[in-house]
Amino acid sequence: MFAPVSLGFFRRRSVLLLLLLALLAIVSTSALAQTKDNSSKRLEAIRSEMEKGQGLYVAGNYVGAAEVFEAGYTTYPYSAFLFNAGVCYQKQNDVDRALAKFKEYVKVDPNAPDVDKVNQRIATLETAKATALAAAAAAAAAATPAVTDGGVEADAGVVAPAPKPTFVLPSSDDQNAMKSLVVIETEPDGAPLRIYQRVDANAARFVLGAAANAGWKEVVATRAPANLTLDVGHYHVVVEKFRDFNASEADMAVSPGHVHQLKANLSQGQFMAFLRVSSNVIGAHVWIDDKKKEHPEWGETPHGELVPGGKHVVLVEAPGFEPLLSNVELEHGEQKELEVRMSRVNYGVLRIDSSAPSVNVKIDEQPKGSWRSGEEPLDARADSGPHKLVIESDGRKTFEGTIVVPRGQILPLRVKMIPKYPRGPAWTQAIIGAAFLGAAIYVGSESNRLYDQVKKDRESGALESSDSRATRGKWFAVGADAGFVVAGVLGGLATYNFVKDPLPESSVKPGKLLEFDDPLKARPVARVETKRRPLMDVAKAQPGPRLQLTPGASSTSGGLFLGGSF
Amino acid sequence: MRRSPFTLVFAGLLALAASGCSWSRFDDITGDSPVLLLEKPGSMKAGFGVSLGTLTRNGQTSVLVGGAVGASGAALYDLGDGASPSTTALDVAYCSGGSAQCFLSSSFGAFANATSGGVSRPQCYAVGTGSVGTSGIVIRCSDATEYPLPVPPNALKLLDFSLRESQPYDYPMATDRTDDPVLLVTLPEQQMAWFYPSQSTKPSELSAPKGVLDKADKSFGSTLAVLTVGDTRVLAVGYPGKSEVLLWKTDGKSGSEYIGCLGGLSGLGRALAAGNVNTDDVNDLVISDASNVHVIDGQALATLPVTESAECSFSSLPEGALLGSFGCGSSTSTSNCEGSSFGAAVAVGDLDGDGDGEVVVGAPQMTVRGESAAGAVLVYDVETPADAAFAEVKFLSSAESSDALGSVLATPHIKGRDVIVAGAPGNGKAALFYCSSLLPHGAAGSRCP
Repeated sequence: MFAPVSLGFFRRRSVLLLLLLALLAIVSTSALAQTKDNSSKRLEAIRSEMEKGQGLYVAGNYVGAAEVFEAGYTTYPYSAFLFNAGVCYQKQNDVDRALAKFKEYVKVDPNAPDVDKVNQRIATLETAKATALAAAAAAAAAATPAVTDGGVEADAGVVAPAPKPTFVLPSSDDQNAMKSLVVIETEPDGAPLRIYQRVDANAARFVLGAAANAGWKEVVATRAPANLTLDVGHYHVVVEKFRDFNASEADMAVSPGHVHQLKANLSQGQFMAFLRVSSNVIGAHVWIDDKKKEHPEWGETPHGELVPGGKHVVLVEAPGFEPLLSNVELEHGEQKELEVRMSRVNYGVLRIDSSAPSVNVKIDEQPKGSWRSGEEPLDARADSGPHKLVIESDGRKTFEGTIVVPRGQILPLRVKMIPKYPRGPAWTQAIIGAAFLGAAIYVGSESNRLYDQVKKDRESGALESSDSRATRGKWFAVGADAGFVVAGVLGGLATYNFVKDPLPESSVKPGKLLEFDDPLKARPVARVETKRRPLMDVAKAQPGPRLQLTPGASSTSGGLFLGGSF
Repeated sequence: MRRSPFTLVFAGLLALAASGCSWSRFDDITGDSPVLLLEKPGSMKAGFGVSLGTLTRNGQTSVLVGGAVGASGAALYDLGDGASPSTTALDVAYCSGGSAQCFLSSSFGAFANATSGGVSRPQCYAVGTGSVGTSGIVIRCSDATEYPLPVPPNALKLLDFSLRESQPYDYPMATDRTDDPVLLVTLPEQQMAWFYPSQSTKPSELSAPKGVLDKADKSFGSTLAVLTVGDTRVLAVGYPGKSEVLLWKTDGKSGSEYIGCLGGLSGLGRALAAGNVNTDDVNDLVISDASNVHVIDGQALATLPVTESAECSFSSLPEGALLGSFGCGSSTSTSNCEGSSFGAAVAVGDLDGDGDGEVVVGAPQMTVRGESAAGAVLVYDVETPADAAFAEVKFLSSAESSDALGSVLATPHIKGRDVIVAGAPGNGKAALFYCSSLLPHGAAGSRCP
């Protein structure tokens, strides 16, 4: 019997139920997203290992390739790594290791579609090994000397060791010999899979439900999710009718030494496509079909993930680089690599701090702000290229120079502001010298005036030998000359002391170029190949007697600062 | 090569100093100056430039500069024969009161040659009265010998009294400029005048008609001059208190005769001088009155008849005897003739060396360059009665107030011409004006323009 329950009780229970369901949805969504993210990263790591090994193999570095595949298998125990490692050992004529890997491959993946071919490869290798051993034994017997009755070697010499057999293993393996890992998933899991390999290059397109598809051979029948090791070739994947879902199918081209991922969304009745976006900037932010960035980013380069087939708009952004929009079209089940090349923005930032308590910064005569001790360095943005940089500080020598602002990067500048050399003695000498000069000019003009008078009297015949004006004018002239000499000496000293400056000029020391701050995460690491270029142009900033060249360098650039002030 | 600012500034200032303010140019411009100040000897404590005398012998000219009358001595300067006269006193023992008692006179007699005790002595000056063994007119020569000239008995009484009581009286003296001059001496205190004929030490008194002398006026003989007119000497004695000039003539060997009296002009006789003004080669008489200077032909004076008349006027002069009369003029360098005491001293000198003399007139109270009473000397060229003209003015380039330049004048003869020596007793100066604008350019050497 059911107890009577009030309507309010049902309402409260409904609300609680809704909250619980919402919580579950959130948790499950979060867990799902986390799982999805982890799975994606794992696959990306596997893909990286596989492609790395493949690259070494193609380059002929079989030892390195074998090491990569061995390590890959240790971390990610997929049989494709074992097979590929075995091929690498076979290339090295290391029959024992090759056999071990192939046998382990057959052991861990007995249902592999090519298990027969691998067993045949094992037999071939063992035969070759036996042949080689026999040949080696025969060679050793032929080389053994006659034995005396006493069983003592005739020449009482030492028994020579048997020669080590030399293996020349049969191998027609080329770069397509590498097997690939194929990951096939369905949503939901458990759907039956059939994989057909095109064995005839001229075979017609696979038709699901056809009585016979000539040139196609079924190589795998299993259930999703499946991790398969497949040879290079064209395949047709069929997800058979499962529960209430209809069958799905997709073509798949398997490349050597790759990781392929297929995911079939059975509710949509079709396979997803795989998109991988890489860039010359590692860590660039990628949005898919979200130009306005209204949703969380899709990933950071390099990043690959299953996406629905069809047309997509990919937005790639990184601080310091121009945003890049790309259109990409994916077929169902297609795996596509989108590599974008980003270019830096045409402006840069000078990050300035100083040894002085405060500085004022001007770029191209335009004030860019002030910096004070204890504050964060002043970021002054400017178009990339050469600019006139002026940094002033009270009581310090002004720095003037030409600086090259980098593109899309931050150039830290540590400005060493040197105090101005005191000019007090120079001013004192100048003032006293000017006083002497003025007095000398006055006295000299008086002397000249008296001379003119005396000369006039002389010309008129009235000048007497002991004319007091002549005596006075003579002493005035002596005084004027002395005054001029003293003024000259003081003027010279003042000039020297005005020009003299034992202190170095203010200088700028550039730091290592930095990337723009990324508000979404830690600063990205640019992998941009940049030419070495001077940070600073050697330019004459201002005419004057005192110039200073300050060398500056960073890991990517170097140059000279030219500065001066007066 | 790049020069530092220091070097440029230093070099510029040095160049400025070197080019504009060299002191040596003052030495250059004052070297061989046209006016020489005769250095006052340190031994002359009382006055300098109060009286002057000059003579020339064998081309060597000297000037005697006296100090305060009756209280000081005189210093002899050797002007030599050229452009390098010595401005340092050669002998300062003239009437200095050293070995012999002597009272300096206000004017001197000068002898190119003098005879004492039968011995001819060169370059002698009659400088005052005193006792050199015996009382009389004291004569000192360039050889440092001194001897007295006897004075008339009446004068001797006063002289003895004067010497005994150390109360000086002035004995103005004058000589002509011949080699064997006549010395004219006066004693204003006793209204006496006498002369010594050439080569004679015997005084010969001048006698005037009754009524000529006024016992109450002690200005008789304060000025005097001796004119040489051929073999005749005309003795002119000023009587400025009465505005008269009394005239005698003598043959220079014996006694004298009174030939008249000039008068009628206020202050006439303030100063007298003798010299060749016109071209007749005989001395003419220059007389100043209160404001003008008159030049009277000496030839005409020598022809005046002996007279006993006490009348004093110019009317007794023959026609044409007055060569010229002129007053204080003006020029760019002189001003304030009013009150300049124009005519306080007169002299005649052949400044341009053309054979006839120019009249030199002192104006000791004239304001020069703003300096009151600095004094000046004005030169007039009087060729004929019609063309007496101002020629030039002389003053000290460093004129000082109260110099009173031109209080006394002399015209020493140097190298064929005369130069002006003027006393400035106000500040104890005596200046030798070596140059004259009347001289042709370059004729007087490097000292003159």
